[in-house]
Amino acid sequence: MSAPLLAALWAHLLACVVLVGSFGVVLLAGIPATPTARRWDASLVRAGRIVVVLGIGCGIAWLMTRTAMLENRSHAALEVRAVMHVMLDTWPGLVWLARHAVLLVLGAFLVLTADTMERPNWIAARGEAFVLAALALALVTASSHAAAVAPGRALAIAADVAHLLATGVWLGGLGAVALLLRRASAESGADARPYAVRTARRFSHAALIAMVILIVSGVVNARAQVENVAALLGTPHGHLLLAKLVVLVAILAIAIVNRTRLLPAAASPDAVARLAAFVALEATLALGLLALAASMTLTTPARHAPPVWPLPFRLAPEIVFDVTLARWRVLVGSQLVVVGTIALLVSFLLRRRRRKLLTVALVLIVIGAGIGLPPIVVDAYPTSYARPPLIYHAGSIASGAVIYRDHCAGCHETTESQAPLAPDLRSPAIARRHAGELYWLVSHGTGDMPRFDARLREAQRWDVINYLRAVGAADDARMLGGSVEPDRAWLVAPDFTIAVGPLSPAALRDYRGRRMVLLVLYTLPGSRARMTELARIYDALWVMGVEIIAVPMHGPRDAIAELGASPPVLFPVVTEGAADIVTTYRMFAPRPHAELLIDRQGYIRAIWDDGGGAIGAQVEALNAEKSPPPLADDHVH
Amino acid sequence: MVPLWQVALVLNLVFALGLGLGYAAWGRRAAALDRDLDAARAQLERVERERRACAAGACTGEQQWEGRGVVRAVYPQLLIVTHEEIRGLLPARTTSFRLAPASAAGARALRLGEPIRFALRGTVLDDAAVVAVDKW
Repeated sequence: MSAPLLAALWAHLLACVVLVGSFGVVLLAGIPATPTARRWDASLVRAGRIVVVLGIGCGIAWLMTRTAMLENRSHAALEVRAVMHVMLDTWPGLVWLARHAVLLVLGAFLVLTADTMERPNWIAARGEAFVLAALALALVTASSHAAAVAPGRALAIAADVAHLLATGVWLGGLGAVALLLRRASAESGADARPYAVRTARRFSHAALIAMVILIVSGVVNARAQVENVAALLGTPHGHLLLAKLVVLVAILAIAIVNRTRLLPAAASPDAVARLAAFVALEATLALGLLALAASMTLTTPARHAPPVWPLPFRLAPEIVFDVTLARWRVLVGSQLVVVGTIALLVSFLLRRRRRKLLTVALVLIVIGAGIGLPPIVVDAYPTSYARPPLIYHAGSIASGAVIYRDHCAGCHETTESQAPLAPDLRSPAIARRHAGELYWLVSHGTGDMPRFDARLREAQRWDVINYLRAVGAADDARMLGGSVEPDRAWLVAPDFTIAVGPLSPAALRDYRGRRMVLLVLYTLPGSRARMTELARIYDALWVMGVEIIAVPMHGPRDAIAELGASPPVLFPVVTEGAADIVTTYRMFAPRPHAELLIDRQGYIRAIWDDGGGAIGAQVEALNAEKSPPPLADDHVH
Repeated sequence: MVPLWQVALVLNLVFALGLGLGYAAWGRRAAALDRDLDAARAQLERVERERRACAAGACTGEQQWEGRGVVRAVYPQLLIVTHEEIRGLLPARTTSFRLAPASAAGARALRLGEPIRFALRGTVLDDAAVVAVDKW
């Protein structure tokens, strides 16, 4: 991130926020009736003109810095052609143009000297300035991270606009309120004291609403751009968000003191001066908050950045599937926490015996956590939540099987003569661990196990992990039968390449959202009768939304010719790379002839070795599903 | 002197009208230009296909498409091929094509699973026929 770019963006954002907040406060305050209040109103308009100029100036600096970064040469910032190219031929440039056009109109509007003594004219003047400033600020969203969210872009944009405007109304208005209170606290400004206190009260109500909007829209934004705890704790974007929350809590604490202590007591000049000082402190902290917000805009969103887990442990609730004792401890502990939480809530409602109930509630929560949490706490590593660079693909799994046999099986597998020296990595409990954790252990070793980061390339280590995950999945696949269980999709089908002769290859995932796939692993001559039957019913299955993909297990050189001409076999027959598919899918269905029905979302839904007349009913069942699952992820987790 | 609130109202109207008219006059026109450009490109490709067909002795209005595929079935007058995308005609899929009399003899020598290059000639998909087949 470039410091000049950040500085320019921060100053520009600050200018827009201050304009929205200042004119918002002026509107909340109402028409000034006393000389001091009128002077304050006029000084805000004058300051508004300067802020608009500063905002446009910083915007130009931002555009020039951005141009230099995009062109990768500093001189480009001063070349009119390069700057115009960025401004007119890129989306952020067009948004920049629109925002600065609005700021220019606002500047022109503020420069106009008009008679605002009449109420409609005053409201129109200040209201128009507020609307134009809000428009300039809201347009920031059009080229922000929110505009790149998919799916759910409309909600992300709406939340971001609400977040920006609430920031403008609350934090941008602090300076104007502090200025008014300070003037009113002076001897010469005594005439404006009731006006200032009334304005502070109204602003306090508006800020409360803005704060609720900020929190709600902030949660929506975080869900869209951060997504999970690992991204929050393990990425620069997440760290900035945490820092922003810390500053926000500090601002909220001051705001609460202002609202509950200082504002009700603001009658004397000293009290008003004290309130002005606290509001100014709030405004100073808001400057830091905006700097953090600007930094977040220039940082890769957490959901797209590789998280580096900072803690030596993590919670693994899935462990309760494997350990019975852990299941019971978690059950008892969680129930105690639930009871404690209810008691805590009740204690807030009670007037009598509140302290006693509060103590009991906290003790229950602590004991519950002490019982329930330890069994699901497991060791964690920096790569615990790393996203594998290789997708869950048959080619990777088959490579991983070979690497596992050569480098891992010696210690981790039982042989006829001896028990394994180390735990069997292919057990379901191991397979359930995060891929990133297995990657760390394979790379860095553990106990007597040597490190493999020098012996195996990164891709090879991920191949082994893909293989281990496939072994775990294949173990689970034993629960699948020949009938589709409606609305229960859980077994992700490893992707594979469909290569027919020298034609450009396709992939299993190309069918996602479009067609079901019947993957047929066959051996001739044993599968001859079934292949003939499938060739005959192919048209009917196609109409029902099924593509058949045949993979020869016996690896003939001319698989299409071997299937014969009568009846003609017209579905894709994989002729290149079939071995990887066979290695992978035989783990799921280890028979000479097997058929796997994969739904439109990429999940294996049924496995059979004879098919018979049942296939039509299974396809009907999938077609009748009312709530199809989300598309399968190509990565292991 | 015009009251300020009226100036503000007119300014907002100008904004709204500017956006609306800007979209009507420029946004819609830009979208139409995009469509025209796509149509012109398609027309250019069509002319190129017609030129190729003409050079090979075809009638006026006929086009010639080139494709690559794998033989799936051969009949006296039909060739079924799993093919890559045929630009301007078909996406990648398995299709049965009519064999022109001149290419029927050559097609009979093809084996199942054999990779081939082929040329189709016609005015539209329905009357297109395979006029040349070569081993890939």
